[in-house]
Amino acid sequence: MKLDKIDFTILEMLIDDARISFREIGRKLQVSPYTISKRFEKLKKERVIVDSTVIIDPEKVGYSFTARFGIDVKPSYSSQVLDEIIKIPSVIVASKLVGKYDLISIIVVKNFEHLCDLRETILEMPYVEKVEIGLWIKTMELCPKYFLI
Amino acid sequence: MSDIRIDKINVKIIRMLQNDARTSFKDIAKECNVSLDTIKNRFNILKKNGVIRGSTIIVDPKKMGEGNLVIIGIQVLQQFSESVLNMIKKMQGLCVVTKSIGQYDIEAIFLLKDIEQIGITKEKIENFPQVKVANVGIFVDKPLLCPKNFEFEFE
Repeated sequence: MKLDKIDFTILEMLIDDARISFREIGRKLQVSPYTISKRFEKLKKERVIVDSTVIIDPEKVGYSFTARFGIDVKPSYSSQVLDEIIKIPSVIVASKLVGKYDLISIIVVKNFEHLCDLRETILEMPYVEKVEIGLWIKTMELCPKYFLI
Repeated sequence: MSDIRIDKINVKIIRMLQNDARTSFKDIAKECNVSLDTIKNRFNILKKNGVIRGSTIIVDPKKMGEGNLVIIGIQVLQQFSESVLNMIKKMQGLCVVTKSIGQYDIEAIFLLKDIEQIGITKEKIENFPQVKVANVGIFVDKPLLCPKNFEFEFE
């Protein structure tokens, strides 16, 4: 799917505020809300728009910091492990990685006990060989575009 | 700002919006068995208190022609993490940068167009005199985001 200027404007406005009305987007682009709605559906169908969500402040709901987990797994099992990691509550990002680790995951953490539990949970998963953790401090506000904290 | 109580209804509002940010307040009201105004009010309070920072769509960067997400782990000479952090903040394509405790002193995530850009970015960081090591990891596919899993308890 080739994106044109209208698509990009729609995407930009929705990235900024997913709840903005199609009428408002239409007004800016000087097209009808109906056109916007059709474009929106198409962008969703083509998986340009993968999902939508609200951005929550983790500190306001009981989390105290963010941790980055670098995970090494037995060769050729990374997809399998990734599927399991995604299911852990408080995981916000998980991905396969080319580089130092096989998988990477960004997780919000309540306290050190929670951190230990998370580490153990992941270490106990089949095919996981090593877990390395980086505790994020003084994190700038994450670009909500790709990291939903 | 006073702390906000995250009760059952607030959790439900947040959960429904986490699942689909465009869920109408009408649907949420129906689900919670309260009036439309209650939901509107509560949503505004959640926003005002900063529990809900905003809403966004998740796009596939590749389909937008934006390239690859890359994480760079950086080790710096003692006591220079602040100045390196500030320099990285000015770099192009940056999504997030943070100080870190662990193997690296600083970790940064970039969105970069192609392998060439990744090379240039890595080199640029390595060329800071205070930087000892810069290790690059490239995200494969698009990262899986799981805001829906992001759990919290309520009173």
